[in-house]
Amino acid sequence: MASLMQVGPGPAKRAKRLVAGVVFGVLGRGTVACARLDERVRTEVMTWPDGTVITLSISPGSPRTTIRWEGGRLKALGSKTDAESTLLVSFKSVEDAFPALIGMKSVLQPFAEHRATVKGDLALAMSLVRCLHIVEGYLFPDIMNRRILPLPAKREVGHLRAYVALLGTSADLGVPSAASAPSAASAVASSGTSEASGTKGDTA
Amino acid sequence: MIPSYYEFSNRAKVLSGEAAIDHIPFELKVMECARPIIVTNKQLIELGLLKVVLRALAEGGVQVGAIYDDVPVDSSVAVVNDLAAVYRDQGCDAILAVGGGSVLDTAKGANIVLTTGSEDLNEQMGNEIIVARAMVPFIAVPTTAGTGSEVTGAAVIKDIERHTKMGFVSYALVPDVAVLDPRMTVGLPPRLTASTGMDALTHAVEAFSCRQANPLSDAYARAAIDLVREYLPLVLEDGRNASARLAMANAALLAGVSFSNSMVGIVHAMGHSCGGQCSVAHGDAMGILLPHGMEFNVDHAGPRYAELLLHLAGPEVYASTPAADRAAAAIETVRAMLQFTHERAGMPTKLSEVGVTLEQLPGIATAAMNDGSMTFNPRYAEESDVLQILKAAL
Repeated sequence: MASLMQVGPGPAKRAKRLVAGVVFGVLGRGTVACARLDERVRTEVMTWPDGTVITLSISPGSPRTTIRWEGGRLKALGSKTDAESTLLVSFKSVEDAFPALIGMKSVLQPFAEHRATVKGDLALAMSLVRCLHIVEGYLFPDIMNRRILPLPAKREVGHLRAYVALLGTSADLGVPSAASAPSAASAVASSGTSEASGTKGDTA
Repeated sequence: MIPSYYEFSNRAKVLSGEAAIDHIPFELKVMECARPIIVTNKQLIELGLLKVVLRALAEGGVQVGAIYDDVPVDSSVAVVNDLAAVYRDQGCDAILAVGGGSVLDTAKGANIVLTTGSEDLNEQMGNEIIVARAMVPFIAVPTTAGTGSEVTGAAVIKDIERHTKMGFVSYALVPDVAVLDPRMTVGLPPRLTASTGMDALTHAVEAFSCRQANPLSDAYARAAIDLVREYLPLVLEDGRNASARLAMANAALLAGVSFSNSMVGIVHAMGHSCGGQCSVAHGDAMGILLPHGMEFNVDHAGPRYAELLLHLAGPEVYASTPAADRAAAAIETVRAMLQFTHERAGMPTKLSEVGVTLEQLPGIATAAMNDGSMTFNPRYAEESDVLQILKAAL
C-alpha cells in the first residue's frame, strides 16, 4: 500500500481563493452600492423580507461575503460575521466559483451546472441573480459583460460613480422595510424616484 | 451538444410491467423494511387502486404501519409536516407513495423532514442542500403517466400563504424504487390522460432544449417523445389498452429521468406560477404553454427543436422536411398534438379556458421570474417577455 501523502491545495488554488475573497467583497459592496444607485436593484431588494441575510461562499467555509437587508437598510457585512443566513449560496469548490467571479462565465452558469448549492428560498435566489447581473454591468467592462450577461448591460449611472460608491458599506433606502414582496413592490413604486437620484439615504 | 459540465444520476430501481406491484414486498424486504406508511388520497381509494397494492402487501406478508390519505390536489407544507408526524407516531420504516404528482411530491417532502430530523419543511428549502447518509426507504407507485416524479430529484410543494409553489431539488429525493404497473393507469379518464401526457411531453421537450441538456438526458428525452408520439393517441382511443398504458408510464418515467438531470425551463416556470396563483392543473398549463414557450425559445434552441422533429413527428416527416423548416415544424407538431388532445379528450388550449384572466397575468409573470426553472431556459427572459408569452396563451 502506498504511503499516505499529505498534499495541500497548492499555490494556484490558494491564489484563486484569495482572488475570490476580494471579488466577493466587491460583489457585496457592489450590491449595496447599486441599491443606492440603480432603481432596478433597489426594486429587487425591497421585495426581500425584512431581516434577509444573504451569504455567498465557497465550500468549505471561506471566502464569503454577507449582506443584510433590515429596517430599510441594505448593509454589507463583509466576510467576518456570524449573522445567520436566510439565503446561503455556496459554490461547491473554488474551481466552480472562480470563472463566474472573474467575469469569465455568467453567474447563472454555476447554478445551471450544479456547481453551487442554495439553502433558502429559491425565489430569493432568483432575485439575487438578477441583482448580480445588474451589479456586474457596473463592475465589469462591456467587453466582458457581452460574454457573461444574458442581455446587454444597462447602467443608470457611470462606472466611475459606481466604483466610488463601493467605498460605502450600507444603503438606507429610505422606506420602511418590507414584510412581503407585493407590498414592498408597491412601496418602491411610490418612493423609488427620489432614490434614483442616488443621494437620499446614502449613509456610506 | 455537450455542456462544459454536467451531472447525471438515475439511481431508482424500475419495476415495469405486469404484476409489478406484487414485487413491492420483495423490494421492502431487500431494504430491510417491514412497516411502510402508505401515502395516497381518498379518490384513489374510492377507485379501488389502493386495494391492488394492499392485496399485494398482504400476500407478501407486509404489515402496513399507516395509511395517510389526506393528500390534496395541491400539496402544502402543512400536509407534508402532518404526514411526517404520522410516520413518526406510527413507528413506520418506509414510505410507499401511491398516487399522482402531488402524492409523490408530498412523500418526498415528508422524507426530507424525516431524514433531516426537522419539524418544518420550510427550513429545508433549497437546491442540493440535503445532507444525509441515507434517506427513508421510498417506493413510488405513480397512478398517472405524466409527472415522472417516481424518478426525479425534485418536489414541488405549494406555499399556501404566498400563493407560490416551492421547489426542492436534490438527487437525494429520487425514490429507491419506481413501480410502473398498468393496473394503476388503465382507469385514468381521457381528460386526465391527455393532461398528464402533455406534461410528460413538456418534460422531455424542455429537458432536451434547456441549458443542461447532455448526451445522457438527451437519450431519455428522445425515447420519451417517441413513446408519447406512438402511444398517447392509443390510450386516448382506448384507455383499457394495458400495453399502451404501460408505454405511456414508461414515457413519463423516461422524461422524468431526463428533466431531473437537465432540468426544465420557461414553460415550467410559467406553469408553476399558473398553478400557484390560479390553481391551474399542472398538465393543463404545460400543454397550453409548451408551444408558446418553444416559439419564444426558437431563436436560441432552434437546432434542438429541429432534432426533436424526428421524435415528435416520426422519421418520414423529418426526412421530408427541409432542415431549415424543422424547428418550426416541431412547434407546429406540438401544437397539433395539443389540438388532437383537445378534440379527443377536451384538453384546454388556452389559459382563459382554465379560468386565467388578463388581470392575473402580471402576477403570474412576476412569480414565474422567481421560479428556479428560469435558470435553465435556453433564452434569458425578462418579465415583459413572460407577460407577452402569457398574453399569447390567453
